[in-house]
Amino acid sequence: MYDNFANPWTIRLKWLYLLGVVFALMCPVFYTIYISFNEHGFGARIYDFTFDWYRIVLGDKLLVVSIKWTLYLAISAVATTIPMALLSAKFYKRSRHKVAFVALMMSPLFVPADIMGSSLLVFFKNLSGFFTFLSEVLGIGWLEGWFDLGFLTALIGQIIYTHPYAFVVILITMSRYRTQQTEAARACGASAWQAFWQVEFPQIRVGVFSSCAFVTILSFNEAVRTGLLKGGFDTFSNVLVAQMLNIGMSGESYAMAGIMSIVSMIVIGSVLIYTFLRAEHIQRKARAMAEPVMSE
Amino acid sequence: MSSIRRGRDISAPSVWWQELFGENGLQKWVFYIPVVFFIMFFAMPMLLTVVWSVFERTMFWMEPGFTLFAYENFFTSARAENYVFSMLHSAVAATVSFAIGFPIAVFVRRRVAQAAQHRVILLFILPFMISELVRVFAMRPVLGRNGVLNNLLIDIGIITEPMTVILFSPLGVVIGDVMSFLPFMIFAGFLALEAVQNYIFEVSDDLGTGAVRLFKDIIIPLAAPGIFAGSVFIFVNAMGLALVPTILGGPGAVNAGLIANQAIVALDFPLAMAISTIMILTLVLLLYIGHRLFDLTKVLEPIS
Repeated sequence: MYDNFANPWTIRLKWLYLLGVVFALMCPVFYTIYISFNEHGFGARIYDFTFDWYRIVLGDKLLVVSIKWTLYLAISAVATTIPMALLSAKFYKRSRHKVAFVALMMSPLFVPADIMGSSLLVFFKNLSGFFTFLSEVLGIGWLEGWFDLGFLTALIGQIIYTHPYAFVVILITMSRYRTQQTEAARACGASAWQAFWQVEFPQIRVGVFSSCAFVTILSFNEAVRTGLLKGGFDTFSNVLVAQMLNIGMSGESYAMAGIMSIVSMIVIGSVLIYTFLRAEHIQRKARAMAEPVMSE
Repeated sequence: MSSIRRGRDISAPSVWWQELFGENGLQKWVFYIPVVFFIMFFAMPMLLTVVWSVFERTMFWMEPGFTLFAYENFFTSARAENYVFSMLHSAVAATVSFAIGFPIAVFVRRRVAQAAQHRVILLFILPFMISELVRVFAMRPVLGRNGVLNNLLIDIGIITEPMTVILFSPLGVVIGDVMSFLPFMIFAGFLALEAVQNYIFEVSDDLGTGAVRLFKDIIIPLAAPGIFAGSVFIFVNAMGLALVPTILGGPGAVNAGLIANQAIVALDFPLAMAISTIMILTLVLLLYIGHRLFDLTKVLEPIS
């Protein structure tokens, strides 16, 4: 058996390496946030702390509108992706064709953003043309404009992007759930919905809420697919991309990148802390229950 | 009890809405919604990409027909060369990510207490969840001429002049890809190793297997599905994400995603679809080979 304490320095060095990699991945982000609070911007020899860049960003009406659109999109993505991911996870559990099903659900992870965005763009343009044609032939006016590039198409793009992540997170949580509990609930007279809502859901709730947070963050951060499919509105990420490519890196760009990073860190940090605390609480409770009763 | 079946008294007459929305009605079909959605909005567009790639280009759009002009245009221009170069860069990015990330997955799986393993892996969720756009964008002030890295190395005395090769160059693109996708190698590697029973490591330790032999003969073969899945993910995304060469590559830097984007901007939709088709075929071929060699379903064993 390997002894972790035979040479403590080996373990310490390995931990140092692991934390070093996390630090290296986070370092550029923290540096960007640091610059965003400098009155003189990037490259200046002096550093004067200021919130001015953030004030400028949040005072810009165009950016505030883009934040609103981003929020609408994120809320809609959560509202549609999470129930779909739950259904997918349930379907996976009972499916006999698991490989084909997983291949379909996970494939979007392997298709690069620009390629998927381009394909969906052409698909929706064709679909929109088809519905316009249908509306003319059938004389049904309300069919016109379906799948025109806009909020709906951007949302579909985001669902396809975020669904695999939510599916995996929920599936991991569901794997710890014993299906015998559902069978017991059904045998006691509960309907399928009651068995799910009152027995299964409380046990997978953490996974569902975590995937809500992930979908919100992924949706908030997504730029490429949304950029191609959004039609006439702008999201926060799209404005940032446009600014970076057209104007270059200004103090405002750093502040926008700072906002995106800080929001992501707060949301994900809260989820991680909550998950850790809950796991600790459950373990403590289990330990307390397992303690033997001492005779007097 | 005999008349109670699946939570419902079957002797009681049911009303029509119970039949319609009940477990044998719409409720049974609701589980097919994700499948239908993904066939409709993911599989179909991907398959139709092949059809659109042989359509004829018009001024602003395309019309049905059959021509291989888009493919000819791709293979006889610098785009094909750029595609091959982007494959090369992406392969380097995947290899570097493996070299940096996989030892972390092995360390966590083998040396960290079972209860804490997932928490340690979750550390890598944080960088991954920060926008790719921001992470790539944030590399500029770090790798730039006056950036943190150059200043640090000059201050320490390792270099006297700022390095210019790390930004707006192919190396900058590889660094950007590694920084963007590294967590995936760690997740996929860890997931594959999680399926390996602990006693395998314990037996090899008891038999005194050396570190190199353990890694080469036991860990690599057992984690091969995860390594392959992680590598394909990095390879394909590094080839297809236009953001990285646009921000870190400088003039002339391209990858498959950027070529497709440029074709769309030029309103050459058949060409964009031809590039997407080539990209999708590359991906399908890689996944097929990987599945035949390593059985990629093993990656999902711990969660199924």
